[in-house]
Amino acid sequence: MPDPAPIIVVKDISKTFDIPGRPPVHALRHVTNHVDKGEVLVVIGPSGSGKSTFLRALNGLQPVDSGSIVIDGVELTDPKTDLNRLRQGVGMVFQHFNLFQHKTALENITMPQMVVLKRPQGEAEEIGNRLLKRVGIGDKGGSYPSELSGGQQQRVAIARSLAMTPKVMLFDEATSALDPETVGGVLELMKDLAADGTTMVVVTHEMGFAREAADRVTFMDEGAIIEEGIPESIFDNPQHDRTKLFLSQII
Amino acid sequence: MIDVILSTMPFLLEGLWMTFKISLITIFFGSLIGTVVGMLRTLDYALITYPLGAYIHALRGTPFLIHLYFVYFMLPATGISWLQLEAFPAAVIALSLYTSTYVAEIVRGAIEAVPRGQSEAARSTGMTALQTMWYVVLPQAMKLMIPPMGGVYVIIIKGTSIVSVIGIAELVRAGEHATQRHPRELMLIYGMTAMMYFAYCYPVLRLARWAEAKFGSVRLPS
Repeated sequence: MPDPAPIIVVKDISKTFDIPGRPPVHALRHVTNHVDKGEVLVVIGPSGSGKSTFLRALNGLQPVDSGSIVIDGVELTDPKTDLNRLRQGVGMVFQHFNLFQHKTALENITMPQMVVLKRPQGEAEEIGNRLLKRVGIGDKGGSYPSELSGGQQQRVAIARSLAMTPKVMLFDEATSALDPETVGGVLELMKDLAADGTTMVVVTHEMGFAREAADRVTFMDEGAIIEEGIPESIFDNPQHDRTKLFLSQII
Repeated sequence: MIDVILSTMPFLLEGLWMTFKISLITIFFGSLIGTVVGMLRTLDYALITYPLGAYIHALRGTPFLIHLYFVYFMLPATGISWLQLEAFPAAVIALSLYTSTYVAEIVRGAIEAVPRGQSEAARSTGMTALQTMWYVVLPQAMKLMIPPMGGVYVIIIKGTSIVSVIGIAELVRAGEHATQRHPRELMLIYGMTAMMYFAYCYPVLRLARWAEAKFGSVRLPS
């Protein structure tokens, strides 16, 4: 069960992208949200709804124009905050895995530990091998990303993030670029993490995952939160027309 | 014919040695400056990137001969004592700056060709911008830099012949001298000169090939 102490507090954040020659895109409009310790928040919504921008704002990869974000007591939006330090505690898994192409699977996991946390190589490798086993590819440590399937690469990426012992894990459409037959395995792994009490914010189009693993579901459209609640209320009894329309299109 | 070859060979070898020295020093400093400029150009600060862009375009958009005249003839005319350069340092400075502009564009292009997701992933683990550049971006950009870099080096080696206009006895100049002594052996002497350039440039190109294969374990995502 989630511990009702928020680890992420987002207050009134907005972000507008100004593209010359085109109308400005309001990717986030006054978004307020929070994530409790151990909670799994799933963010759903149509393409361009701002859900990825929201997620990327949570580790400062996407700076916002206004509003505040506090992660575990540290204000990310304060210009004095050391973002590098803050990001150590916020793991991120990307749609396109983004494994370091010049490193083996194991090196992908050990390198950030050694560079950022200054762990000795032996310890980093021990952690790396243990995590590779945990994500189900214990025998692939010596393979380069180009030799792995999409599903295997995403498992390595998840292990790479876990190795930093993050307080929060962010998943940005982690299964959208996978072959259909490997989607299930990665989703199972994410459910395992959720069951272990990992605090997670998940942007996904996998409604089955949202229904099963989410503690809370947020529906976003046009940069704003339209509706949110427990999975049953969002999926079985949506209140807002736009939520109903979206769900009818996607399921 | 043999006696012409034997008598001109020492001169030509001296010229080759000068060409070798100038080109190596130039390649070293040109690459050093160019790498720094190229890396700085990928930053997001207009205050840095605009002046550097102006530097690159000014030098690439004007003939090298003018740069050489500028450093060797015009700077001394300012009367400032440390700008009174001898021919050799003047040639090396002008060539190094010229080389740096080409290296800078290669470095910038290679860095920008490494997908953005690579640095985003690195930053998301808490790496600093510098650590990201050093451990993630540069190793992958390196492979992309090697083939064009080999090409630039060869162009610079051959381009050193132009510094003969300020009296430096490099290989082409040495060849010219030899033809004045053996005016009827133009073909032979320039042939030997060309062979010497080739003997220097070809291994450089092979080396670039070898380096490309050696660092070829980098595979960029398609």
